[in-house]
Amino acid sequence: MIGHPAQSGTPAADPPRQGVRVWDIAVRGFHWLLVATFTLNAFMTDAESALHHWIGYVVVGLVGLRLVWGMVGTRFARFRSFPPSVSGAMQQLREIATGETRPHVGHTPLGALMIYNLLATMLLIGLSGWMMTTDAYWGVDWVEALHEALVTWAEICVVLHVGAVIWETRRTGVNLPRAMVTGVKDMPVDTAEGPAG
Amino acid sequence: MSERRGPGRGGLGLAALIVAQALCAAFFLSDALADFADIGPGALTTGYVGIEAAAALLLAAGIVVEFRMLMALLRDQARLQRGMSIASGALEELMQGYFRDWRLTPSEADVARLTIKGMTIGEIAGLRGSAEGTIKTHLNAIYRKSGVTGRGALMALLIEDLMAEPLVADDTATGAGAAQIRGGKSGPVR
Repeated sequence: MIGHPAQSGTPAADPPRQGVRVWDIAVRGFHWLLVATFTLNAFMTDAESALHHWIGYVVVGLVGLRLVWGMVGTRFARFRSFPPSVSGAMQQLREIATGETRPHVGHTPLGALMIYNLLATMLLIGLSGWMMTTDAYWGVDWVEALHEALVTWAEICVVLHVGAVIWETRRTGVNLPRAMVTGVKDMPVDTAEGPAG
Repeated sequence: MSERRGPGRGGLGLAALIVAQALCAAFFLSDALADFADIGPGALTTGYVGIEAAAALLLAAGIVVEFRMLMALLRDQARLQRGMSIASGALEELMQGYFRDWRLTPSEADVARLTIKGMTIGEIAGLRGSAEGTIKTHLNAIYRKSGVTGRGALMALLIEDLMAEPLVADDTATGAGAAQIRGGKSGPVR
């Protein structure tokens, strides 16, 4: 359980590294399109406008495509490669608490929970937003409050997500933001097990 | 020794609490922000918005405190677990040291170890695939060589040593600690 000791100190130091293809073009495209569309709707478009509604539909469509890709996509895109695991997440928290570093090739367990959380939140935002356009729920207070609370929740999670990415990058020395752009993770050689794709 | 409690059981509740509080904070924050957008900066003085903002802030502060508690808890658990494995390692060394001193044969050492673990003669015989009579012979040899009077005395010997000095004096000096315990009490007992 206590495995190998923490590689303390400067993370970007010695160990030889090897690029591993992890994120395919669909995963990366989804990620950055979601970033763009969510940012537009959360901060820029007028909530009453048709543009806001259409971007909302695009977000829901993107999540839908991602769900399908999670079933049929490449290895690290599949949900099966990052199942929601509470025990895995607790184990990762323990590693964080004790200063152990264990780079993950695909998503980390905590990262996986964040992904499911964000996907579900996006769908619920879309659903509550759509409800506000229907005759039945137009002007109903709780729907609007829910829509706004979910957006705030998503914003908090995004801040947490970005913070965690920066922090994990510093901790493990694996440049995660670059991996989401190029699709390639620079893993320390001994942890880059298995062929990618 | 029944199944050991999985580490992180207590931490799980704390983690769930953190998530729940974060959801509440998001709700209050969004409500406060919405009111703020509707009414403008004056909203803060109307009381209602101020309370919501304060609630969100306090929840956020609580989350920070809880997260630190969770980290401390997980660190403690990891340390306990490490201490546990050091302790069992020390006990194993202590036993082996005695067995060497008494010049037990490998079979006798094996039987002695299982006896200390609390197994009956019948169980040991079943495990080792030998007759109960053989095990009894081994046991008699063990008691004769060690000079103790029986199973209880054998256990007492180890317990006494373990209680005489702190088992996990230092996280790193495991082998040295066990050797020291043994060295302080060499020679035949009684």
